[in-house]
Amino acid sequence: MPVRELVPKVHVEPPATHKPTGRKTVIRALTNTGIGAAAFLITCLSLRVVLPFPEIDDGVSQKFRFFATHKDEFDTLFLGSSRVYFQISPAIFDHVTRESGLPTHSFNFGIGGMYLPETSYLLEQILNLKPRNLKWVFIEYDELQTKWSPENQTSRRALYWADWKRVSLLLRKLTDAGTDPLWLPSPGKIRDIVLRQKDEKNTRDLLTFYATQFERNYTNVSRGADVLDFFLRRDTKERRAKYLGAASDGYVSRPNRMSPNQVAAYERGLAAMAQTDARALSPYTMAAYRQCAQEVRKIGAAPIFLITPSITQINVATDSAGLTGVVMAFNNPRTYPSLYRSSVHRDGQHLTQSGAEEFTRIVAANFVELARAGSIK
Amino acid sequence: MSFVEFRFLWFFLLAFIVYWAMRNNAARKVWLLLCSYAFYAAWSWKFTFLLLGSTTVDYIVGQMLGRTESPASRRFWIATSICVNLGVLGFFKYFNFFVSSASEFLAWLGLPASVNTLYLILPVGISFYTFHSMSYTIDVYRRKQPPISNFVDLALFVSFFPPLVAGPIVRAVYFLPQLVSARRFSNVDVRGAVMLFLAGFIKKACIADGVAPTVDRYFAHPADFTPTSAWIGVLFYAIQIYCDFSGYTDMAIAAARLLGYQLPNNFQFPYFARNVSDFWRRWHISLSSWLRDYLYIPLGGNRGSRGFAYRNVMITMLLGGLWHGAAWTFVIWGALHGTALLIHREWIRLTEGLKWAVRAMRWLAWPITIYAICVAWIFFRAHDLRSAGTILRQFTLFRGGGNEHFHQWFLLVIVALLFVHWLNSRRWFAESWQRWPAPAFAAVYGCTFAVVLLFVPPHYTPFIYFQF
Repeated sequence: MPVRELVPKVHVEPPATHKPTGRKTVIRALTNTGIGAAAFLITCLSLRVVLPFPEIDDGVSQKFRFFATHKDEFDTLFLGSSRVYFQISPAIFDHVTRESGLPTHSFNFGIGGMYLPETSYLLEQILNLKPRNLKWVFIEYDELQTKWSPENQTSRRALYWADWKRVSLLLRKLTDAGTDPLWLPSPGKIRDIVLRQKDEKNTRDLLTFYATQFERNYTNVSRGADVLDFFLRRDTKERRAKYLGAASDGYVSRPNRMSPNQVAAYERGLAAMAQTDARALSPYTMAAYRQCAQEVRKIGAAPIFLITPSITQINVATDSAGLTGVVMAFNNPRTYPSLYRSSVHRDGQHLTQSGAEEFTRIVAANFVELARAGSIK
Repeated sequence: MSFVEFRFLWFFLLAFIVYWAMRNNAARKVWLLLCSYAFYAAWSWKFTFLLLGSTTVDYIVGQMLGRTESPASRRFWIATSICVNLGVLGFFKYFNFFVSSASEFLAWLGLPASVNTLYLILPVGISFYTFHSMSYTIDVYRRKQPPISNFVDLALFVSFFPPLVAGPIVRAVYFLPQLVSARRFSNVDVRGAVMLFLAGFIKKACIADGVAPTVDRYFAHPADFTPTSAWIGVLFYAIQIYCDFSGYTDMAIAAARLLGYQLPNNFQFPYFARNVSDFWRRWHISLSSWLRDYLYIPLGGNRGSRGFAYRNVMITMLLGGLWHGAAWTFVIWGALHGTALLIHREWIRLTEGLKWAVRAMRWLAWPITIYAICVAWIFFRAHDLRSAGTILRQFTLFRGGGNEHFHQWFLLVIVALLFVHWLNSRRWFAESWQRWPAPAFAAVYGCTFAVVLLFVPPHYTPFIYFQF
């Protein structure tokens, strides 16, 4: 143990020099603080403009870079979660449409775990690339998610889309503030959130989380690595193949089936969901989809909203209230029994490869039919 | 709430603005006390009662010590304070450790005993504020500090938010006199404080959190890695713990300075120490000096025979190790440092007047010291003794391990960081910015902070010393 005197002997405060903190000092301090804050904000915004698209896991960057390079080759785009990623085969879709006399060239931009609001952010980024030949954009139709799993909260994936448009909508939904321009959170909801009551046990944490993500996103936290990635071009062929699939069309198949126990659980879940009433999407979700539709229309393409055949989607209401786009719904087991057979499902949410192929054919056939009927404009 | 989180910025801005807007010193202290409790409640509001309870006990003990002159009565009151403080600390931090260790020992003797451990959550910063609080009663007992009649002063000293959860350990005699008179904003070195905060932020958020994934990966499965990667893993941990802890300290000192208060320095370029004694004069200075003054010297210090002094060193270091955490790995870490201190003392004694030894040590002292410190870090970081053994074999004998490896250029990162650290120790980044015009300084500071944020990893790693 050290024996030398380390800590200064008893700290005796020098008598305070009576330099009064005058008005001038305060004004000077405020001015300098303002200069510092302005320099900080200007630098953050400038960096945000010049930095490349962030390096995001799970294939987001690979697909984005690929699409950016080939943007004018595609006229049809599919956007959504794994329910799109593993279930829509562009090759089959294009084959069916070609045979039906309405040839397309489509790309699957599905990403595992991607829901609104990430979908809407990515859609904007894709449209900002100005793909000249894009005519149809299929967007997965589902409720606006406010929950994030704790293990994903620390990833770049949870950060890059957190701009004001997305975060404000999430905060509105969490505080039940409505979609009017005037932000008026419900007092009852706020009370429940503060006191962590009823269903609001985690809402406070979610509000903090999204507010923090917004701040981190606008201050470019951890974007330094993107510069390195941009120059090193670390988009290796193997990594790209993993996410873009064998045909480089963004589709990756998942062949495995359910075990007998899983089949039994699936059948039970299917029966239970068939009994439930239709669930209308929240006004926040509709606002997000309206924004998406508007963006798609701006570049002259048509938005098409897609409800996939999964157990949790069965009771999603299919009316496209206020949307300027058609909703293609495959969530009725009675209308599409072949898509709900346990033999074509990997789990309650996803189809096997053969199920995905069958689903794609049906989507393509319906699309051609609607396009011919003039429903898709 | 941590210093590197955005919400701390908003919290601090509010605390700062309201604090300096107030003119009355008593009101300011009440405000800071409220802020400190709110800061602590951000982790767990329930444990604020523990903090308050600990403060109340020490306040009463202080008052009673001030009222009595009887040695027996004074001993009773100081014993009460020590028992309560260490009792609470022992219960939350060491109960399960001692119960499970006793159970394992009985099983080893062939007397298996069924024991129950409790599901206890360790209150954040309990080791730190317990030592803050105890320094008050011990100093009052030693008549180095008069008893405080104003409860708010004592409560603020114990709970003052910058050093509350991870130090530096502040003593009553250092801090309480600062509460007597109102701080003046015109006496605050704002530039120095904000630069110190930025330095601490870079250390923690960019460097420590940047190397943390590599360290975690290595220490989770050390047997999978090659010996070279073991070196990278251990050296990265040495960097991580230094940058993490000294980064916190820098930010704590800076935050306190912005409010007009001084905190003691806690680090003085410890990795440039040339022997282990020197290391302890540079590493976690507030703890080493606390242990020296409140444990080592009361045990007898250097007085008496050499063996007696060595015993005191070992007891102090073992308890210092245990202070860090309730695990045998920490005890071994303390024992290794204690042994190294004894070896160093013996070396000094045996080589006194030998010129060749002095000459040899001119070159060898630093590498030997840094190597010994890194060996000790292995026990500090390892999950258990078995994995510590694996790492030790890789690190010392270059044997064992698997095929996984880190990039060799990670070694360059270590060299680069060491070089920057060396430049800093030579005051290369000294205070030239103090001479800049204030608006220029503010603009450059704002731009620099924005650029620094680019290099902050997306994941937030809690401060290592929070767990202590």
